[in-house]
Amino acid sequence: MVESTVLLIAYIAGCLALAFRRQRAHGGTESTLAGQLRALGPGALLLPVALAGFGISVSVYWPAIAALIAAGIMVVFAPGLAARVLPAALIALGLYGFVLVRGFERGSQTPVLYGAVPAGPGGWATYLILPQAYAFLAVGLWLAWRTTGRSSRLASAVLWRAPEAAGGQRRPRWGLLLLPAVVVAMELLGFSWWFSGNGWAVRSTVVVVLATVLLVILAPALAADLAVVAVFALGIYGIALGALWPLHLPLPSAFTDQVRYGAIWVYDRPTALLAGLQGAGLLAFGLWLVPRALDARTRALFWPAPMPAAELAGRVRQLTQTRADAVDTAAAELRRVERDLHDGAQARLVALGMSLRAAERLIGSSPQAAAALVAEAIQTSSKALTELRDLVRGIHPPVLADRGLGDAVRALALDTPLHTVTDIDVPGRLDAPVESACYFAVAEALTNAVKHSGARHVQIRMQHAGGLLRIEVTDDGAGGADPLKGSGLRGLERRLGTFDGILAVSSPPGGPTMVVIEVPCALSSPKTSSC
Amino acid sequence: MRVVIAEDLFLLREGLARLLRAHDFEIAAAVDNPADLLRALLEQRPDIAIVDVRLPPTFTDEGLRAALEARRQAPGLPVLVLSQYVEQLYARELLADQSGAVGYLLKDRVFSDDQFIDALRTVAGGGTVLDPEVISKLLGRRSADEPMAQLSPREREVLALMAEGRSNSAIAQRLFVSEKAVSKHSTSIFIKLGLAPSDDDIRRVLAVLAYLSA
Repeated sequence: MVESTVLLIAYIAGCLALAFRRQRAHGGTESTLAGQLRALGPGALLLPVALAGFGISVSVYWPAIAALIAAGIMVVFAPGLAARVLPAALIALGLYGFVLVRGFERGSQTPVLYGAVPAGPGGWATYLILPQAYAFLAVGLWLAWRTTGRSSRLASAVLWRAPEAAGGQRRPRWGLLLLPAVVVAMELLGFSWWFSGNGWAVRSTVVVVLATVLLVILAPALAADLAVVAVFALGIYGIALGALWPLHLPLPSAFTDQVRYGAIWVYDRPTALLAGLQGAGLLAFGLWLVPRALDARTRALFWPAPMPAAELAGRVRQLTQTRADAVDTAAAELRRVERDLHDGAQARLVALGMSLRAAERLIGSSPQAAAALVAEAIQTSSKALTELRDLVRGIHPPVLADRGLGDAVRALALDTPLHTVTDIDVPGRLDAPVESACYFAVAEALTNAVKHSGARHVQIRMQHAGGLLRIEVTDDGAGGADPLKGSGLRGLERRLGTFDGILAVSSPPGGPTMVVIEVPCALSSPKTSSC
Repeated sequence: MRVVIAEDLFLLREGLARLLRAHDFEIAAAVDNPADLLRALLEQRPDIAIVDVRLPPTFTDEGLRAALEARRQAPGLPVLVLSQYVEQLYARELLADQSGAVGYLLKDRVFSDDQFIDALRTVAGGGTVLDPEVISKLLGRRSADEPMAQLSPREREVLALMAEGRSNSAIAQRLFVSEKAVSKHSTSIFIKLGLAPSDDDIRRVLAVLAYLSA
């Protein structure tokens, strides 16, 4: 026993030492142990988690040894992968806790070491399993949450699939809460029932687990709504337990004289009071969740009059902000035009006049010098024209005025050095300011794709349906774009905000980068001309 | 050579007419709106039309639309479109009917009258003349997986000059090579772009079109 403990500690220390060496070889600069551990990331925790496998192995040790070796290899050679595996390992460990409880309940389980406590049938040895299991589950879920949308592309693909999330941002991730909520609810009915082994119970267990997992993956918004409702219901049930014990509640658990509620075993008055406290905590958590996790429409279901005064005040605040932005933008734009005219065309016209005046003086005495000056004047006038043309393009591109947003974006695509495909369905003209704001937003997105993404292909999709203009600019570049950096997109976001439009950027590392612009606007009658 | 001019600014219209008369062109008509332009083109059948993109009533792209309409009714009617700015989109629309005799130039090009008169004669003779600004935008593009990628840098240069409307001898002069080398390059371009042997002028137009749509 002692020898194997020493061996295990030596193994972990060796793995960490190798990982640090490898890190330093890749340019790590941390010198303290804590700093190195921080740089290694949460992946290092995979080693102790794998160690827990030894505790729960009863007679066969080789799976635990294999797990520990795999964990060591991952921590040393692929700390990023280890960090991504860690949440799954923790969740599995947490779920195993529930299986253990069920085993002890049926008397079919030999005592093992679960996490930090020796777990056995009856007494505290069993009671301490549940809080630990919940802790593992919570930490696992929290880590899974942290990694979604950042390193885990699968999770982000699933959870961020709906671009509608652009408005409500992080909301769908709350769907993950449904998993622990369902576990607690199942526990309330008694694990002995769910895992009793008769066909009917097995089938319901499989159905409930599958339905929950599918809901969380396929309909994260709905799962989030259900999770909030479940937290509320569980909280109220806990308070009822605390208040009404030992009165049996009209639930299947009533046929036993003890109930497992969350991390607490309720079998007498004091434990019932603890359950009441836990219920109050859950209720408070549910209330806290409402504005964060609940869908706006679902919220309206519970609060039929959605605080009109507050909503109006919010709208006024938003309008004040966007109006100020619009005025600022216009003023800045005018200053730019003034500066460009002053430094460019105006200066060239002055030079032109001076050249011509000098030529006029020289024409009698030295016709050749005069001719040279006139040639210079011609060049200056052509430069002035070029500058004026560029300036006009920056203010309001001529194609936009001629043909509207559709053709202007097609023209932009033609001028882009990347292979650009357009799919445009806008049968008519929009208001000129909206057209202009959208045009410059698309232009900025294309410029970013050319400059930063390393993309080869760009796709622009644009359609107007149901009073909403939606534009998507997608490139196949490296991704990892941060919309908060770079003032370009921010400025355009403000400009679009004047029309209640939004601009969202999704750019996971490894790409693809997708810029979505949505503006509510009306379409004027389709153009009648043939070209 | 008989010319129809469509330009809404009086000064420019008169300036153009004076310039053309000085080079022995005959002004068949000088108009300032698309309806008169269309009538003049279809009645007078000039050797070439010079059209400003922006004409009344909306001062957007009426001139271009009128020119396209006239060429639809009288295919191959030589048209030189002038504009304050050039767009690849419009160049494509002008070239789309593949019958050549099209020019698309910035208004500033009128300043250097020799080149402008050359361009007029090229278009009147069925050639294609695109503004160097359109060409330079095209050169800035990366065409990764298209037949354009098969062209050598030299062949691209030749094609760019071809699109500007230059003859083989002018291209030879510009690139400091023999005319024979230029015609060898152009044959190679036609083969690489899959253009069947036919009238050289038509193949030049098709090559420029392929260039535009790359």
